[in-house]
Amino acid sequence: MSKRKVKETHMPVGECISQYGYIFQVQMILRERFCHQRLPEKPVGMESQHKHLLELLRRTAVHGESNSVLIVGPRGSGKTMLLNCVLRELLEVKDVNKNVLPVHLNGLLQTDDRIALKEITRQLNLENVVGDKVFGSFAENLAFLLEALKKGDRSSSRPVLFILDEFDLFAHHKNQTLLYNLLDVSQSAQAPVAVIGLTCRLDVLELLEKRVKSRFSHRQIHLLSSLSFIQYLDNVRSQLSLPQDFPDTNFYDEWNDGIKTLCEDQSVVDVLQRHYNSSKDFRSLHLLLMLALSRVSASKPAIKPTDLLEASRVCMVDSKANILHGLSILELCLIIAMKHLNDIYEGEPFNFQMVHNEFKKFLQRKSHSIHNFDKPVVIKAFEHLQQLELIKSMDSSTAKIQKEYQLMKLLLDHSQIMEALQKYPQCPTDVKQWAMSAFG
Amino acid sequence: MVRYFTRLRMRRIYKWGGRPYIFDRKLKSYGFEYLNMSVEGQEAVTTVTPGQYILIEGNDDEYPFVAKLLKFFGDESHKQKKALVQWFLRLSEVPQNKKLLLGRSPHPQEIFYYLGRACDNEINAESILDTPFPEPGTKDTLYVKLSWDTKAFNVLDPVLMQDTPASTPPKPALPLFPPCASPTATPVSRGPVRRALPTPDPTVMRRAGSVSDTRATMSAGKRSTLEAESIHSASKLSASKILSAKRRGSAADTPGVRKKLQLSIGASECLYLRMKELRNSVCFPCFLIQVTPSTPRHATPSIPSRTVPARQPGNILEEARARLHVSSVPESLPCREQEFQDIYNFVESKVMDGTGGCMYISGVPGTGKTATIHEVIRCLQHASDMDEIPTFRFIEINGMKMTDPHQAYVQILQKLTDQKVTADHAAALLEKRFSNPAPKKETTVLLVDELDLLWTRKQNVMYNLFDWPTRRHARLVVLTIANTMDLPERIMINRVASRLGLTRMSFQPYSFKQLQQIITSRLNKVKAFEEDALQLVSRKVAALSGDARRCLDICRRATEICEHSTSHPSSAGLVRMNHVMEALDEMFSSSYITAIRCASLQEQLFLRAVIAEFRRLGLEEATFQQVFVQHRALSRVEGLQPISVSEGLAVCQRLGACRLLLLEASRLDMLQRVRLNVSQDDVLYALKAVRD
Repeated sequence: MSKRKVKETHMPVGECISQYGYIFQVQMILRERFCHQRLPEKPVGMESQHKHLLELLRRTAVHGESNSVLIVGPRGSGKTMLLNCVLRELLEVKDVNKNVLPVHLNGLLQTDDRIALKEITRQLNLENVVGDKVFGSFAENLAFLLEALKKGDRSSSRPVLFILDEFDLFAHHKNQTLLYNLLDVSQSAQAPVAVIGLTCRLDVLELLEKRVKSRFSHRQIHLLSSLSFIQYLDNVRSQLSLPQDFPDTNFYDEWNDGIKTLCEDQSVVDVLQRHYNSSKDFRSLHLLLMLALSRVSASKPAIKPTDLLEASRVCMVDSKANILHGLSILELCLIIAMKHLNDIYEGEPFNFQMVHNEFKKFLQRKSHSIHNFDKPVVIKAFEHLQQLELIKSMDSSTAKIQKEYQLMKLLLDHSQIMEALQKYPQCPTDVKQWAMSAFG
Repeated sequence: MVRYFTRLRMRRIYKWGGRPYIFDRKLKSYGFEYLNMSVEGQEAVTTVTPGQYILIEGNDDEYPFVAKLLKFFGDESHKQKKALVQWFLRLSEVPQNKKLLLGRSPHPQEIFYYLGRACDNEINAESILDTPFPEPGTKDTLYVKLSWDTKAFNVLDPVLMQDTPASTPPKPALPLFPPCASPTATPVSRGPVRRALPTPDPTVMRRAGSVSDTRATMSAGKRSTLEAESIHSASKLSASKILSAKRRGSAADTPGVRKKLQLSIGASECLYLRMKELRNSVCFPCFLIQVTPSTPRHATPSIPSRTVPARQPGNILEEARARLHVSSVPESLPCREQEFQDIYNFVESKVMDGTGGCMYISGVPGTGKTATIHEVIRCLQHASDMDEIPTFRFIEINGMKMTDPHQAYVQILQKLTDQKVTADHAAALLEKRFSNPAPKKETTVLLVDELDLLWTRKQNVMYNLFDWPTRRHARLVVLTIANTMDLPERIMINRVASRLGLTRMSFQPYSFKQLQQIITSRLNKVKAFEEDALQLVSRKVAALSGDARRCLDICRRATEICEHSTSHPSSAGLVRMNHVMEALDEMFSSSYITAIRCASLQEQLFLRAVIAEFRRLGLEEATFQQVFVQHRALSRVEGLQPISVSEGLAVCQRLGACRLLLLEASRLDMLQRVRLNVSQDDVLYALKAVRD
């Protein structure tokens, strides 16, 4: 921020300042979109699911009908977004607004029933909550909550919406006590509740115990996007376009035209096709667009195809190849020696001594540029590779065996090694040749 | 503050006095004139004689049982000492639902002459307390005015209170009426106008109000007692409590010690409260005056009530949906008549006889086990309200609704007496309650749902639950429910299984006809479904599980689909076959195939690579590295740009998260093993359809 402000003062004329202001606004709007801080107007491509869920929750809120439902879909398919859209819409209804009590739980945060119960009690603000603390033991809390829910009835008490994110993790709690009780309440004449589970596991019902399963209503809303590439492209365009209410119409037209031409560029379409082939979810798309967006500045007020290509390159890059670029020549030689051992012994594990022998053979026979290293130095390099998790020990009991004889496996593919060698700066030719030769 | 139960138990010595006379020749029992009681190591001897009023040890130190002694007897060996008594009840011992019959708030020291027969009037003489009976005129005097025959309060016939010509005149006679009451009131109140009687004499009421502000609230029972105790810990101990403390602590001859101890507890409690206040004032400085931290112990569990009342169902489909909800209580339970009758007979006979017993009920989920028992209890309650059978108490616990098997004791005790204690202590109290004879004992019907969750390594919870009904004075009927038929054989050790007995019942899954009947009876002439549609649902569910819940849920979903299928909700007609089919499809079809079809191209390619690698290896398992080689070859065939290893791993992880693949821990990186969670045929079928 401060840097930008300094820049701003250096801008000579007012036009640049206004230009900068618009760019700043564009960044604001699009970043909010890509970082999931603002819900979209309408969830795309899930109209029927949206209607189903909204109807269901509306019935709980208005009629006091208890329900349970699971929203299932792969990661990044918009489960939470859908639910939040529905909740936002639900809370806009006048009658509902003050009448529902949403309780948000997450399987990653509430790792057991004790914590989950405290959190539920806290969010419901029952009478055993003082300030932000929940009093009483686990057993007392459970009894208290159940008693509270039992006292309520369909027509007079406020409906409670239990939203269980990462629902599958709740199924791993001891005896599934929490799920049993929530689902039991939803199937008996007590306070009206809606239990909404979000999960990415398709086999989530198999995790439930039979009596818990019997109490679940078996409503599942699947979010499986059958988005075609044309729709995907449309979506990219709408995601990058500015909203109607942008203050300056000139800039608005300019930007949106720029985006339109960008999406028709062949290289951009190729990049997006590649991404679409890899995954259809919007979260990875947003990551790509975010990288492209961050290259936009006042001096370069549009997204160019090269930005997108560069962003795609960053997204697609192989992480291990990057590590290999940072290795020393000695470490690289050890990796090559391991590759040869893998070729010779068909993927059997190796130990340090074998690698060292292979390396020594290379030094004696082919090497011109590399000199002999002391054994401790080589061991150090070997250990460094282990720390980088490029190689992995196969023995479970490491303490028993001497370091040199521990069995190891290489966690690299041949293609990764060869690629890294090609790109390695100033790699000696004899090392390259050694790597490419069939047998060490 | 929880009571201390680590008090020194004093040994009291009971000795017969006077000359024994033959009481019953056949039983060889002897009557005795009086009983001498003394505390071990003490000189003082208390003598009680028939005709005297006595206090008898009960569950509650504060309120010992009150009775009039009629006769002493024992056997030849003098080992057993028995006594015949006439019971008097305190109001807290009257069943909760009958308390209102009194029609006025009772005097805190008021007791009732017991006319019922349900209660054993033969007691163990060693349970008589040696505390002196409250003298008339002191503030502990007990008053009797009405009698209680388990159904209504009646005016006490003064003849009953006349002392039998006993050998010695009873020392502390029980005053028939409060001393201040005018004797002329007697004939008036003896009249047949039972309802008119409860005009309490003003003196009694005045006294009740003025005894002291703490005592006035005590009549309500246990809860308020605890409250009063915790606030005014030591200084306002009731007299009988001090006495009983004295009795137990007098061996050391330091009756004051206990009092002092309690005082110091009171002081430390004050300090604690002060500290709490201080802490609060630090945390919320702006609320300094308002925040009086409400001790959550007395919090009432409740969900806030809504501002706008819930809307009632508007059209036929909504009406049907409300009726089909599992939670709605039907007018009758069809298809379980036989089971209902069996359980009804079992419980009824036990309640009538005042005996105890166990019953084990099994059946897969959703076959109406709990519902049937609730229905039985409802009918029995009705019968007892109509005075056809004696009153009984119904208590329900559920193994799933507690955090630990031992919590069962706590919950049972809390439901029985409204006491909150720890598990061990609750077990001890229940043990005492079910093994000792006591007056006013009504039968307890205990429903234990999800019995298998009460399993512990030593099985002591189950053992106790099944052992108590076999006690002579327990009057406990235990109904247990679990899912598996062979639970007693499978998880119970012999001594538990034996006590559970052989009264078993198993609920069969519903047949399609029964399911159909259930839906029809629930709908009860609301015409919302086509006949065929109902039959389809019931046949499908009967074939799968016979779970009535499932059946109702499907019907409910079908009404929703029907409602959505038409543009106008009010114009929606009957639920037809196609709606039901859609609902069934939604609930029962596997989503794996759709998931594979909707997966991205690389994910589909990876699945194909997995299958190709499995075929090559002839195994159902491969490492990621091996699969990735196949994947690269396949993408070359398909003319796709090969992806990097990182991307490939990401694809693999995505499939693993949906559980299309089963993966090892991801720290193994390229060496993690991959398995399919779907059959190969399903994958190939799904992928083939995509390509066509």
